[in-house]
Amino acid sequence: MADQGHHETHTHPERWATRVGVILAVAGSAVGLGNFLRFPGQAAANGGGAFMIPYFCALIFLGIPVGWAEWTMARYGGRKGFHSAPGILGVIGKGAIARYLGITGVLIPLAVSFYYTFIEAWCLGYFWHYLTGGLGIDVNAPVAEQAATASTFFNGFVGNDTNGLLFGGSYETLIFWIITFAINIYFVFRGLSKGIEAFCRWAMPLMAVAAVIVLIRVLTLGTPDPSTPDQNVMNGLGYMWNPDFRALANPQTWLAAAGQIFFSISIGFGIIINYASYLRKKDDVVLSGLTSTATNEVFEVSFGGLITLTASFVFLGVTGTAAAVATGSFGLGFNTLPVVFAHMGPFGNAIGAIWFFMLFLAAITSSLSMYQPSLAFFQESLGVNRANATKILVAICGIGSFLTIWFTKDSIFWSTIDSWVGTFLIFIMAMVQLIFFSWVFGIDRGLKEAHEGAEIRIPRFYRPIFKYVAPLYLIVVFIAFCYTNLGSWIDGVRQQPAAQIALGLILAVTIFLVVCLRIGEKRWRAAGLDLDGKFEPAEEEA
Amino acid sequence: MTTAGWIFLVVSLTSVWGLAIWCYARVLRGGDIEPPPDSLGG
Repeated sequence: MADQGHHETHTHPERWATRVGVILAVAGSAVGLGNFLRFPGQAAANGGGAFMIPYFCALIFLGIPVGWAEWTMARYGGRKGFHSAPGILGVIGKGAIARYLGITGVLIPLAVSFYYTFIEAWCLGYFWHYLTGGLGIDVNAPVAEQAATASTFFNGFVGNDTNGLLFGGSYETLIFWIITFAINIYFVFRGLSKGIEAFCRWAMPLMAVAAVIVLIRVLTLGTPDPSTPDQNVMNGLGYMWNPDFRALANPQTWLAAAGQIFFSISIGFGIIINYASYLRKKDDVVLSGLTSTATNEVFEVSFGGLITLTASFVFLGVTGTAAAVATGSFGLGFNTLPVVFAHMGPFGNAIGAIWFFMLFLAAITSSLSMYQPSLAFFQESLGVNRANATKILVAICGIGSFLTIWFTKDSIFWSTIDSWVGTFLIFIMAMVQLIFFSWVFGIDRGLKEAHEGAEIRIPRFYRPIFKYVAPLYLIVVFIAFCYTNLGSWIDGVRQQPAAQIALGLILAVTIFLVVCLRIGEKRWRAAGLDLDGKFEPAEEEA
Repeated sequence: MTTAGWIFLVVSLTSVWGLAIWCYARVLRGGDIEPPPDSLGG
């Protein structure tokens, strides 16, 4: 009979050390640049304060239940000895189809990490520049010239102008990337409790402290330029929060809100399904899942919602801020805000340094979470120890990141991965998870499993939400998303060789992961593991 | 900022902070998870 019990697929089972630790690790995974840069732009462009209505709807009816489903499935799969999405989904979805679909749960964080650490290196680099004198923006020059200085610096730092740019000159960005990657690998290699958890337990509070400092500076800006009295903090807050209820009649607003919640909480990313798999049956997942989501919302609404656009408005006014929002998250974060910091007087560079250090912490707590699922998958599919799994990870990420840092022209390479893997596939993964949880594993069984060890009860009205509302919500958002974006994405791939190379890389990585899974299946069957979820997990020892 | 803007701001901040504080208060009152064996693993 297959051993359906608490059987590990590799030696030395990993485990979190504390409950607050796993909550902060999951929250750290969720809190990233998007909280500070994407959220305010989305809100301002979609009704301001009125955006919060579809936003909270999406949180309650989509974000929170999908998060609960992931935590629950993860812990269940962990009890069967699996800590990666293929193994866990194979158990939940009862077979090979689910198992192979689960490869997306490894591919997504792995592929996204190729460019995420690159962006993280930008944050570290900008932090360093602000610590050592700023970006050279002349506040006495016309604003257009200041913006051009910031833009020129950014394009040079990230290699936007031409491929291979960063492998010449001062190698500055490359050096920052090497440091960033090394820090990530160091903490991931140290394991869950001594590496990721230990890091997140101080990084998250430190991030909050940095955010509070910047927030206080922004809220006390008053009216810096008496010749433009309308450009003040109150009007800056109003730019973001004054509601335009007409936006609620536009389906695009509801889609934007759902998309923001979705990407902000990091559901369907393959991370929660790994992180929570190290919990035991009697460890709560309901309150823990809700707490990590709430933590993410605090950062998003109170820091992202109060700092970014307010600061921009005070110095650049309506036109400048609208233009900044139109440039997207990275334009706002790396072009507009440097101009804003330059106007903050003698302490502007200090605030800039604190801001980019905070973004660096937000990014690294996310990138750590992107490496762990692959490590777990290599360990359990190939039967290698953590050291050897780390070597495989470093090799793959080295190639992926090298290509990302080489093909930097117009950001086509990494934004292709971001579109197809970091956006499109995440929708697929989230839908797959939710449908397997609610319809294959079964919603009643799923809720019973969620309530094992739970410190709070999931309200009864969530049963139909899990089964019907959330999947439907997700499918509608996905279809609308495809309708809006897929055509231009496909055209982009057809026209851009860098995009084709990016997709080729994704395909190669996918093939490698499929091979690992084939090897893993053989090993798991030989070890007597219950891959297809035919039996309940054995009771754990007290 | 308009009155409606203030309302949305205050309600949103109160909601997220209220939820987070309630959650952490329950977490800290509740039990902890079993710590791991003292090894790096792998």
